[in-house]
Amino acid sequence: MESKPRPLYDKVWSKLDRKATAILELTLRQYRTRLSTWAVLSVGIILVLITVLFYVEAMNSEIPAVDNDGDSVDSDGDGYPDGQENLLGTSINNAESHPGLFDPPIPPDSTEDWINEDGYDFSSPNLGDSQGYDDDGDCRVKIGEVGWSSWVDENRNYISCDYFFEMQGVDIEVDSDPNVDEDPDEDAFFKETLHRSFVLGFGKIGFVFVLGIFIPLFLASGLIRDEISDGTLHYLVAKPISRTEILLYRLLGYIALVWPYFFALAAFTGIITGFMGPSSGFFRFQDLLVWFGIALAACLLSLTYATLFMTMGTIHKYGMVAAIVIGVWEFAMAMLSIFEPEATVSRISISHWGMVIVDGFSNMAWPDSQYLIALGESTSQYTDSPWGERIYSDQMPGTEPFSNFYHTTFLTGNPLQDVVISCGVLISMAIIMLMIAQSIFKNQEID
Amino acid sequence: MMPDVAQSGPATGEWKPQPEVPAVMLDHVSKWYGNIIGMNDVSLAISGGVTGLLGPNGAGKSTLFKILAGKLRPSQGTVRLFGTDPWKNAAPYSRIGYVSENDSLYDWMTALEFVTTLARLYGYTRDEARVKAEQVLEFVDLKDVMNKEIGKFSKGMRQRVKIAHALVNDPELIILDEPLQGCDPLARTTIMNVIRELGAMGRTVIVSSHILEEIERITEQIVILNHGRLLALGNVHAIRDMLDAHPHSIALSTDRPRELGKVFLDHEEVFGVHFPEDGKLIIRTHNLGALHADLPKIITDSGFSVTAIDNPDDNLESILSYLTGGGN
Repeated sequence: MESKPRPLYDKVWSKLDRKATAILELTLRQYRTRLSTWAVLSVGIILVLITVLFYVEAMNSEIPAVDNDGDSVDSDGDGYPDGQENLLGTSINNAESHPGLFDPPIPPDSTEDWINEDGYDFSSPNLGDSQGYDDDGDCRVKIGEVGWSSWVDENRNYISCDYFFEMQGVDIEVDSDPNVDEDPDEDAFFKETLHRSFVLGFGKIGFVFVLGIFIPLFLASGLIRDEISDGTLHYLVAKPISRTEILLYRLLGYIALVWPYFFALAAFTGIITGFMGPSSGFFRFQDLLVWFGIALAACLLSLTYATLFMTMGTIHKYGMVAAIVIGVWEFAMAMLSIFEPEATVSRISISHWGMVIVDGFSNMAWPDSQYLIALGESTSQYTDSPWGERIYSDQMPGTEPFSNFYHTTFLTGNPLQDVVISCGVLISMAIIMLMIAQSIFKNQEID
Repeated sequence: MMPDVAQSGPATGEWKPQPEVPAVMLDHVSKWYGNIIGMNDVSLAISGGVTGLLGPNGAGKSTLFKILAGKLRPSQGTVRLFGTDPWKNAAPYSRIGYVSENDSLYDWMTALEFVTTLARLYGYTRDEARVKAEQVLEFVDLKDVMNKEIGKFSKGMRQRVKIAHALVNDPELIILDEPLQGCDPLARTTIMNVIRELGAMGRTVIVSSHILEEIERITEQIVILNHGRLLALGNVHAIRDMLDAHPHSIALSTDRPRELGKVFLDHEEVFGVHFPEDGKLIIRTHNLGALHADLPKIITDSGFSVTAIDNPDDNLESILSYLTGGGN
């Protein structure tokens, strides 16, 4: 047999590759034979399915339209809504003054025409830019009456009937002229914000944290420990292969199972909610970027947890008790990262960095999120409760959950930089844990 | 740096052992677990042929093997496999096959899958590993059941799967920890034949047992361990001769022990008899082999009925106590 000399890297790589694939395949087949693997993965799928059902239910419900500016009312009883009378210059308090007396007479609008008639119009995601359009004309008509004045330029930017966004502390707020974009569509706003809240809330808590910590807890902590307790580790150890390699290839087997699982599950949820969610087209393509971010965060988080749990399982057979303590800490820090992300203490955790990744991708996919929240907070409304009481709300429905789950990129201010830094932090933590694990495992006696 | 997807061609970059060094070399090796001593100052070099490692349970046989397998680190002393410290460098294991006393296997795999998968850890490609696995499974006589799950195998078959996996890399050194334990007589014979054959092929084989007869049927070269110490090392016949020179006992169960005792006292190999209990006769001799040869004739000539013959001395414990100087 004649063989050509091969370059060194090829020799090393091909030999490494043979051992790596052997252990990787062994690990995957081991997973396949274990009932616990199927149980854990099924529980994850069931969790996602149930949550998606709740989402579908919410998307199929309808929020009643509210007349936020009160101009659908016919105050004087002449059959013309106040909005129409204001626009055409007749009195809203005098039944003898209405557009029906014009020549030619103008027929009255229906009440519905003056509900949700002035929705949010904004185009520029920049602070200070002039935004908005007075669809129903109740501000613009004033310009004709009084010319430019503080009446139609309450925000003092020398542009009548507009608004702009400005920073108030850490929040963005709306500074608006009167009656601009003041009667938006509650149902559309609610569905858009609820959809984003769902993606972020379920993505961060359900996918990134719950699945991201429980899957490695069940599937990674036994990678070495189970081999020791089963007495089968010597089949791998008394071989011309270093223990560091064993550790690494076992982890690769875990990754080969778990990462595709996370991506498939995120793709499934992304496709269902992309079709079900509110959209001007038939599918919310920009959501896929967020779901990619969620899957990426879940993968990296589960890798870092896997190295952690595998190490603890290797150190001691009761090392998993420590995992419970860490789990509690990680849960607290995950919640803190979601609801109080500026708190720096949560940076001493793994889960925090997963949340930053999701926030980064959400800001890339939906750059208008914080403006939506600002608008929702600027629009007050009265609703009639089922028991006949008038309830005042200082914000649009859906604003609150969205403002809870959404967060801006606070680390650098640039979403991509935030994502890169967080990925780097998680990968570094995984590498450090792996180095600790291998230095322990290398000197560990196996009985 | 593309992955070797095709998995064809030989594995490259073989590790080269130092020439002319013993396969196994232990220099003043001790191992203790807390206060318990597992091995006490053992120095040993083994190269070539089959060596039987003999000792009662807890003598340190498994400790020695675990140290050789790189599972345990000696507390003191140096261990070299082909001149290399196995704790620091796993490379010598490319020339070693190790069969643990532990009965665990991946029960969900077929025998062929098991041996093939582990063969790949030696750097064989998928196809090479499969060919090698089939060869070794045929060698241990499991070829016809190699596609069955190991979980359905009998104890003897499991032992042979373990031996097959240890042979898949054509090892120069094969370490077998209690390979005969729990096997039925047929499996024992098969495994003993396999071990003898390996020895005949020029491999270095170390096989442990706590039963002297088993080892005697496999090899003449033995090492005796007790309480973690190396007691004796050498040819089994030499040790046997040494044993034969010391007084032995044979116990007979009969209905008339005193009459039978008189018959035996006439025999020149016998130097004493006594009667520990009713229906029991113990004969003392200096030449166990000669007496054993004559025993059936003496009994049939005497006409007494004997219901049981026993050698209370001929077990490992009495040999060990004799070797350690506490003999009777």
